[in-house]
Amino acid sequence: MPDPNKPKADFSDVESGSSSTAPSAPTATRTYTVEKGDSLSKIAKHTLGDAKHWKRIFEANRGIISNPDLIYPGQVLTIPSE
Amino acid sequence: MNAQIRPWFAALAVTVIVGGGCKKKEPPPPAVDTTAMAPAPAPVQVTSLDIGKSIGSDMKVTTQTTEFGTRDTIYAAVATSGTGTGNLAARWTFQDGQVVDSSSRSIAPTGDAITEFHISKPSRWPAGSYSIEILLNGQSVQKKDFTVK
Repeated sequence: MPDPNKPKADFSDVESGSSSTAPSAPTATRTYTVEKGDSLSKIAKHTLGDAKHWKRIFEANRGIISNPDLIYPGQVLTIPSE
Repeated sequence: MNAQIRPWFAALAVTVIVGGGCKKKEPPPPAVDTTAMAPAPAPVQVTSLDIGKSIGSDMKVTTQTTEFGTRDTIYAAVATSGTGTGNLAARWTFQDGQVVDSSSRSIAPTGDAITEFHISKPSRWPAGSYSIEILLNGQSVQKKDFTVK
């Protein structure tokens, strides 16, 4: 049983990737409309299943987001495919 | 001379015509319904999971291992068969259940295929036990444990 007092390992700098001999399946573009109280981390957790994917959403929306800490209700963000 | 040949020629001509006529009356061979005989294409399914420190150009793991160093990039090669589309996901976890990374890829193979997932950590892996779980369309299909020393 893991010791609850032991500090958790830090995996925040893990880099990952994938490739395949099979062609990629076509994926529909998803969008998300920002609501009051949203943050990129919160949207990433909601749409991609993990808050740490916020950077992917930021990169996919560089045209409309200049500061990842500043998003506004009503903004329509492109959600990258999982 | 002509008068002698004509009856023989006429009989031969009648035989040929009658023979041809009989052939026309034969029932046509039954039509073969090729669509009914063609097997339905098998859906995408995972056939194996290999892990190691490197992969080849065919995306297969070159040397399988379950022991890694703290600076290693860890590769997982997922072999699939079948056709269609499928979403493959790799979920890497640490010994305490902490999710190290999760990523997915939607594939549309037309036969046997290999999909590789890899993770690396510039600041070195903590030593311990890890596992990778492969999910196909959200269902767990393969799991493998490995250690970092």
